[in-house]
Amino acid sequence: MDIANPSVSIQDLSLNFGAVSVLQTLNLDVAEGEFIVLLGPSGCGKSTLLNCIAGLLDISDGRIFIKGKNVTWEEPKDRGIGMVFQSYALYPQMTVEKNLSFGLRVAGVPKDEIAKRIARAAEILQIEPLLQRKPSALSGGQRQRVAIGRALVRDVDVFLFDEPLSNLDAKLRSELRVEIKLLHRRLENTMIYVTHDQIEAMTLADRIAVMRGGVIQQLDAPQTIYNRPVNRFVAGFLGSPAMNFLKGELEVGAVPVFKADGISVPLGRYQFDGDGGRAAKPCIFGIRPEHIAFGDAAQAMPFTAESTVEIVDPMGSDTLVWTKLGGQIISFRVEADKTLRNGDAIRIGFDPARASLFDAQTDNRL
Amino acid sequence: MADVASLSPGAEALRRGAAGPSGPKPRHVLSRRNIFLYGTLIVVALYYLLPLYVMIVTSLKGMPEIRLGNIFSPPMEITFEPWVKAWATACTGLNCDGLSRGFWNSVRITVPSVLLSIAIASVNGYALANWRFKGADTFFIILIVGAFIPYQVMIYPIVIILREIGIYGTLTGLVIVHSIFGMPILTLLFRNYFTSMPEELFRAARVDGAGFWGIYLRIMLPMSLPIFVVAIILQVTGIWNDFLFGVVYTRPDTYPMTVQLNNIVNSVQGVKEYNVNMAATILTGLVPLIVYFVSGKLFVRGIAAGAVKG
Repeated sequence: MDIANPSVSIQDLSLNFGAVSVLQTLNLDVAEGEFIVLLGPSGCGKSTLLNCIAGLLDISDGRIFIKGKNVTWEEPKDRGIGMVFQSYALYPQMTVEKNLSFGLRVAGVPKDEIAKRIARAAEILQIEPLLQRKPSALSGGQRQRVAIGRALVRDVDVFLFDEPLSNLDAKLRSELRVEIKLLHRRLENTMIYVTHDQIEAMTLADRIAVMRGGVIQQLDAPQTIYNRPVNRFVAGFLGSPAMNFLKGELEVGAVPVFKADGISVPLGRYQFDGDGGRAAKPCIFGIRPEHIAFGDAAQAMPFTAESTVEIVDPMGSDTLVWTKLGGQIISFRVEADKTLRNGDAIRIGFDPARASLFDAQTDNRL
Repeated sequence: MADVASLSPGAEALRRGAAGPSGPKPRHVLSRRNIFLYGTLIVVALYYLLPLYVMIVTSLKGMPEIRLGNIFSPPMEITFEPWVKAWATACTGLNCDGLSRGFWNSVRITVPSVLLSIAIASVNGYALANWRFKGADTFFIILIVGAFIPYQVMIYPIVIILREIGIYGTLTGLVIVHSIFGMPILTLLFRNYFTSMPEELFRAARVDGAGFWGIYLRIMLPMSLPIFVVAIILQVTGIWNDFLFGVVYTRPDTYPMTVQLNNIVNSVQGVKEYNVNMAATILTGLVPLIVYFVSGKLFVRGIAAGAVKG
């Protein structure tokens, strides 16, 4: 995707700590007002990338543009960014109001302007009653709101979030997630958000950048990443419960067929990437648990198979059933009211169009 | 409740304790454990307090009473004469104005040394912990190694350096020496404290636009009172109690209190005035003693700070 006037543009960014290469010639363009989520397992370089954009880490190579201005050598305060940290990072000895105004006071903003901006931020985040309290007298959710407020009063172009919800409990996390989404809709600022939580990524992002080992694996809309992952890592990282992978062979003929121990799945409806379906080779067949139908619904599917139930995992809203297909363990989802027991004979089916096929050697999508 | 009890008649009896222990376990005041524990504590406390008792008692006696030789007996006639003499008129060398001269010398040595060394070391520690400049680790290692070199090795070279600068024998020279020798341990103390503070706080302050001094003065300083108290206690007691540097780097009329005390106690001519010596010793030890009493709680808190998160 080419972006005409990127809000943030990262060009050939590299970062080495001694001999360890953390980020490798990384390129990323973020459009004006876009919500980008950097997603990946811990140690993938996503927080490091964010710190580089903020100017808190010196980069080894490349350039960073914010709002068309080359900020590669600029101090963090001059980059037009506001940052929200995982541990809130509120100054413990200052009241909420002083926390919010610290940056403005350092910059020498006039008093009435400071008061105006704090009033606005407090109104947006609904923290007016807390202004005279110390951070130690706030709950986790309130602290994170104040931390967002501190970025808000700086009147910046780009918001950077470094795993802002990871320290909160599940209930608060989902509440604040919605608030951040509303905030983005109201402010229409560019936001770059780092997380390892795929739910946050899927719900918040306009586009997700899935990272591993300092390299962006895939940068796309959440639905595209979910439905058409470019490689096996992305496929396995997104989705909970995780995608099922079956080892087997791709055979070409009139219609390409995936063959594993005792099953053969016709791939006539599968959309190959480029000429991926032309050559026979060992491959991995991926299918998400929620795309496998069961019972009567399975009959209508292009591919069906008989199997027996191995394990049943009730999860409340639905139930995860483990069974065997092609000699390999797979899981699929059924409604919670379906009563299945270990050893029951069942019929399952799926539409190969919803599957993902990966090269067994390169792990790339076919 | 009544319904439940009537349903199972046995439950009430069970709840009343007929069926074994319930609630907090009873503790006996005179258990073997307590006797052993408090006995040991009392013996150890006596062992440490006895010398102090002897000193105070002796300092309040007149010389005739001391000659009787009962060092543990309380004074029959309390006199403050020895204290006055120790403070104001005891002779050391040519001067006969007692410890007061040494006291004020020590104050003039300790106050600037403590302030200077802590001011420099805290900035050192802050820079080493938060602004990882190139060669920071090497610098830190060199500084720490400095703490392991015996003082004696450096005494003579420092004499020459001070003489060349022209401040040998002055209080300024001694203040500089104390500040330098306090540097390794204080820098280590501050560096470790600042390292234990959340790094994100420092980053947030940088995003907010605060610079090196802004972050130090407005963010770090207000958060580090406990470690400053620890540093002040370490330095005040260390510098006040110092004898070696005092005797080497000053002249008789600028001797600190400890050196003067030694000269009073060890003077060879005349009668040994034990009561004056005891009073002088207590007077000299009073400053560190007061520092500990006043700040004991803060001291422990500062030492323990950083051990727990948040």
